[in-house]
Amino acid sequence: MVQSIVQRSAVSELRALLMIAKKEWFIFLRYPSWIIASLIWPVLFPVGYIFMAKALSGPEGTSLTDFQALTGTTDYRSFIIIGSILWMWMNATLWNSGMQLREEQMRGTLESNWLCPIWRGSLLVGGSLVKVLLSMATLVISVIELRIIYGIQLVGSNPGLLIFILFLAMMIVYGIGMAFASLVLRFKEANALVFLVRGIFMIFCGVSFPIEVLPDWMRSVAMWLPLTYAIRDMRLVLLTDVTLSQLLPDLLILTGFAIFLPLLGYGMFVLAERTARRTGELARY
Amino acid sequence: MMNTQLSQISWRSYGRAVLAIAKKDAIHFIRYPLQAVSRIFEPLTWLTPFYFLGKTFAGPEGNSGFAAYTGSNDYMTFILIGALLANYIAAVFWGMGFALKQEMDSGVLETNWMTPIPRSLFLVGQTIANMCITTFNACSMLFFAWLLFGFQIQGNVIYTLLIMIPLLLALYGFGFAFAAIVLTMREANMLVDVSNYTISLLTGSQFPISVLPRYVLPISLALPLTYGFDAIRGLLMGTTTLLPIEYEVGILILFMLITVPGGYLIFKAIERRAQRLGTLSMH
Amino acid sequence: MSEAIAVPQAPPHPIAQPAQARAGSKAVIVDVRDLRKTFVRRVPDPNAPAWRKWLPFGKRISETYNAVNGINFTIHEGEIFGLLGPNGAGKTTTIRMLSTLLQPSGGSAKLNGYDVATQPTQVRQNLGAVLTGERSIYWKLTGRENLEYFAALYHIPPAIAKKRVNELLERLGLANRADEAVERYSSGMKQRIAIAKALLANPPIVLLDEPTIGLDPQSARNLRELIAEIRAEGRTVLLTTHYMEEADLLCDRVGIIDLGKIIALDTPANLKQSIKQLDVVQLEIDEYTPAITAMLEQFPEIQHIGAHYNDADRVWSLKLHTNESRSLLPRLLEQINAVAGQIRHLTIKQPSLEDVFITLTGKQLRD
Repeated sequence: MVQSIVQRSAVSELRALLMIAKKEWFIFLRYPSWIIASLIWPVLFPVGYIFMAKALSGPEGTSLTDFQALTGTTDYRSFIIIGSILWMWMNATLWNSGMQLREEQMRGTLESNWLCPIWRGSLLVGGSLVKVLLSMATLVISVIELRIIYGIQLVGSNPGLLIFILFLAMMIVYGIGMAFASLVLRFKEANALVFLVRGIFMIFCGVSFPIEVLPDWMRSVAMWLPLTYAIRDMRLVLLTDVTLSQLLPDLLILTGFAIFLPLLGYGMFVLAERTARRTGELARY
Repeated sequence: MMNTQLSQISWRSYGRAVLAIAKKDAIHFIRYPLQAVSRIFEPLTWLTPFYFLGKTFAGPEGNSGFAAYTGSNDYMTFILIGALLANYIAAVFWGMGFALKQEMDSGVLETNWMTPIPRSLFLVGQTIANMCITTFNACSMLFFAWLLFGFQIQGNVIYTLLIMIPLLLALYGFGFAFAAIVLTMREANMLVDVSNYTISLLTGSQFPISVLPRYVLPISLALPLTYGFDAIRGLLMGTTTLLPIEYEVGILILFMLITVPGGYLIFKAIERRAQRLGTLSMH
Repeated sequence: MSEAIAVPQAPPHPIAQPAQARAGSKAVIVDVRDLRKTFVRRVPDPNAPAWRKWLPFGKRISETYNAVNGINFTIHEGEIFGLLGPNGAGKTTTIRMLSTLLQPSGGSAKLNGYDVATQPTQVRQNLGAVLTGERSIYWKLTGRENLEYFAALYHIPPAIAKKRVNELLERLGLANRADEAVERYSSGMKQRIAIAKALLANPPIVLLDEPTIGLDPQSARNLRELIAEIRAEGRTVLLTTHYMEEADLLCDRVGIIDLGKIIALDTPANLKQSIKQLDVVQLEIDEYTPAITAMLEQFPEIQHIGAHYNDADRVWSLKLHTNESRSLLPRLLEQINAVAGQIRHLTIKQPSLEDVFITLTGKQLRD
């Protein structure tokens, strides 16, 4: 009798995960324009807001005092850039991680991957490994570029705290990415979903302005969005003399999001997979 | 020998073909309803942050800093006009440039190019559909801007609409060349995205170009579209223009006379190249 | 040694029996002379170190590649002409040049008297083609909308177009689904809409690139009947295919193309006759092992060995080409019994078109 040679173990699951990451890396290599994009966008994207802010502040900076009253700083460039870096990271993740499963579905490879006797989440997690690496690289490139072109220092006096906030932001961003990937698998109209989600973040999270200028109802919505806290806290750490104890309530909320969102993302993924198996969505373009 | 008696070539049949192409694009717009809706609402997601950014700098006398640069306190109308025109720019980059590549990638471009219609006519058909759809989106944007921000059109509207004619023709002429260039690229997404955004920035869709650094300003001033934005804002808002409005209109007309035939020639050159290299079906 | 994929032997079809060759009795409608196409492609540098492949922007070098290497053939009015060959043989490149999508590097091709290089618009007016099958139509449009759209592009006046569209929808059995989006059609239906589109302007020449690929047997059979009908209307059909029995069934003449050259061109009957000395010895055995290969290779009379597993009968089917079956058989049977055990079944067949192909190219069609 013919016997299967499959031998499942923790090591083989890890090997599968790494193989998926390797596959994603080689696919990525076929689209090297990403590198050019990651060099251009960190500098290009905030330009509109920065120059509009410059126009609004007036030729002699007469209106800067109004800005400072609300934000605690006159450095509107750094203020805007911090928000835009986090928003761009979110946007990139929505497109990359979010589209990952949908792309596999369109290519027809989703089914063949899910035929294999590996942990279902390998595809998502293995793919994300490469994306995490690339976004770390983008972040470093952005920081260097922004220093050179705008003369902006994005390191601050408390690098440890900054790194901690970034780590929490990363968990949040990828949790949202996983949730999004599942939504896209189900609803297929990915473009519209990306526009919707990033539009909401753009309007409510204070990417280019302090949320204090929002009307009350919009501010309440903003307080439910994790990116609001990430942006606010990074600004506070980099641009003001905020202490750890002052930041603690926000950090607790951020940590809560950082735990909850990846779990939510994975839960949605499991649900999407089960639904797909029931309805036959897996193979459908 | 068999005769193809059914084809009857005339000017009318060419016109019908162009309209059929426009109709096909319009049907596609409607049949992706979520995308259609997001194209109407997405500009609002760009406008809203500017609205709040303006509020951040607003003092007791409104936006006096802005007024010192532009001659007007009304930064929101300034932004809205920029957004409306930027909408057309985006429509040309994505709707013309990228759309042709999408047809190539989906396999349908080949079938179209096997028909006895000159290939450039496809772009004309696309232009018509694109302009109509974008104008519809622009009107929706104006409606929501009025609803949300209390925006109202003032100033010389008729003259503004007249200026839009050479502006749009020039833009779409450029679109011909851009569409052809995009066809030659394996991965056009980034080029279209970056070009569209950069051009919108440099032509002053989001801020008065006088705030640009001195080494960037000449690039901005070399772009004819900059004068389009400037002239229309001058007419509708009474802002201080870079040059007298009549001169700016002259620049737009000159631009149109260059890009319309120029775009066509570039398209033809790249069409010949595609036929030589067989790149139509490669992606 | 290659393992042949089992090619289903379709029963002879009552309708689509190939007519006698019409060469010489009617005018030449497609005239291809020394047609050539050379591509320049960029490939990764083979001398680059292994670690380099892990990084982007690797070095690439230019390489010229002759996809079509000087082919000649003519097609007569009312013929069904088949172009056969494996992937990469140059079939698709040839078809693309004839349909004016690709510019030849050399030589000439004329369709209905019009040159593809200098008179492409006239060529397109006389041609209906289905190249990429279901990818050649708009999925978000209905079947009717697709046909109306293309009718306008073929300069067909609206009143005539409407009639023609209805006629074709009816004929191809799509009338009751005509107002549904094509994305909801089955593969067979999408293929039929693509063919309807090709027939819209009543073209004298129809080009079909692998028309039955991916279709289930019934749909493929229906499509073959349709192709025969298209010819019966007086049109000329050029089709490319992987499927030998399809070419055998439908085509008046067949050109076998490999490595950019036509290596044989004749009626299917004549092609088979050309290797008539060849016998195809077909054996069925229970087990197939490397020892059997080694044993078979000892026989100099055996020109080709093919083996595949027959799922239906659960036996291994061996197919041997030989010109000397009489002297071979006794020794062969003795050896096979010793190595492979019992022989379940033995037949000696006349060569099929596939065997012609294998003899001429040394390859299976799906290599």
